[in-house]
Amino acid sequence: MNRAFIWITRGVYTFFGLVFVSVVAFKVFQPVQVLPRIRLGPGYWLLDQDGQRLTNEDMRGKVVLYSFLYTRCPGDCYGIVPLLQKVQVQGPQIMGDIPFAIVTITLDPAHDTPEVLKAYAQQVGAQPGLWYFATHPDPKRLKLIVGAGFGVWYEPQPDGSVRFAPRYVLVDGWGIVRGDYKYETIASTEERILRHLGVLAEEIQNSQGSAKLAYEAAHFFLCYAP
Amino acid sequence: MTAHSTLIDRHERRWIAISAALLASFAVLIGIAGFALGVQVPTLEQRVDPAKLNEDPVWSQPGVREIVPGRKYEVYIIAQTWMFVPREIVVPAGAKVTFYVTSRDIQHGFKVLDTDLNVQVIPGYVGKLSYTFKEPGEYKFICTEYCGLGHAAMAGVIKVVPPEEYQSSQ
Repeated sequence: MNRAFIWITRGVYTFFGLVFVSVVAFKVFQPVQVLPRIRLGPGYWLLDQDGQRLTNEDMRGKVVLYSFLYTRCPGDCYGIVPLLQKVQVQGPQIMGDIPFAIVTITLDPAHDTPEVLKAYAQQVGAQPGLWYFATHPDPKRLKLIVGAGFGVWYEPQPDGSVRFAPRYVLVDGWGIVRGDYKYETIASTEERILRHLGVLAEEIQNSQGSAKLAYEAAHFFLCYAP
Repeated sequence: MTAHSTLIDRHERRWIAISAALLASFAVLIGIAGFALGVQVPTLEQRVDPAKLNEDPVWSQPGVREIVPGRKYEVYIIAQTWMFVPREIVVPAGAKVTFYVTSRDIQHGFKVLDTDLNVQVIPGYVGKLSYTFKEPGEYKFICTEYCGLGHAAMAGVIKVVPPEEYQSSQ
């Protein structure tokens, strides 16, 4: 009786010890990394450069990189345009079979009508069906979508310019925000976005069957890709 | 005598139980502090290059950003020897304000008096904290990390004004 009890106790201790060690090892070595599930992306309807309705439901099932600018933004607009041009080329390559889109929302709806956006899209070489430009006829509504929805700041100025800072929001096919790029970090925003697209693509492709448990564990233990 | 009592002394078992209960009560207290009292551990959100803050469109224009009028604001603050930029911040009462704080040079501290806002400001890192100022008034913020001769003078003020007054001043 005593002997059996000792062995059972040892077994229980070993089991919990192993669980503890593997949890610590998982957290320290992070064999699986994911992007955080930050919050639910906003619901919206907008008008794209062809004047068609573009809603968050149209983007369901697609990984979408949202960005914000206005067409009269001088120069390369804080480097937003070159970054998106690069993502337009490399994004679909990284994502493979996973549908991918870029949505650029204007911050100057009074000037940036669908026609203006269409001309701008052609000017920057936006590929139709991949890189959308969007606006909203009602500036107040747009402020709600961009501000309350995406958490992005902008302030229209009396001279027609817009005060803002580059901001990118990465939303997955379930409509969950997975990346929010607010300012330049040690790794450049461009590098982070491209790297994160890879991490997200890997999770979408591999998170099935028993591997899903590993990905869920990575979420649970906050093993986030830097 | 049972198998249990031969393995572990009665008193020893009692003390183990007390220790376990202590640990459990600490865990519960942490839960209460975090979820019920709103005590927050400031998170270091990202790493930035302190030498390049001026080149960044966000950090080169620190201050208040209105995300949702009257409801949601962001405040970017740079701590440097021996001042905060900006020194004065105006936000409406009742709005959720998220602070992003970083240092341009050495280690500083950012503490808003009479609130639970408190973070170490480490160069190269951005500290993120959120707070809703319910009552209008002036809330001083100070540097809590000795940073040299002018440390004592390193302070600023958050002016929380009634929402109507805030909207009319904009």
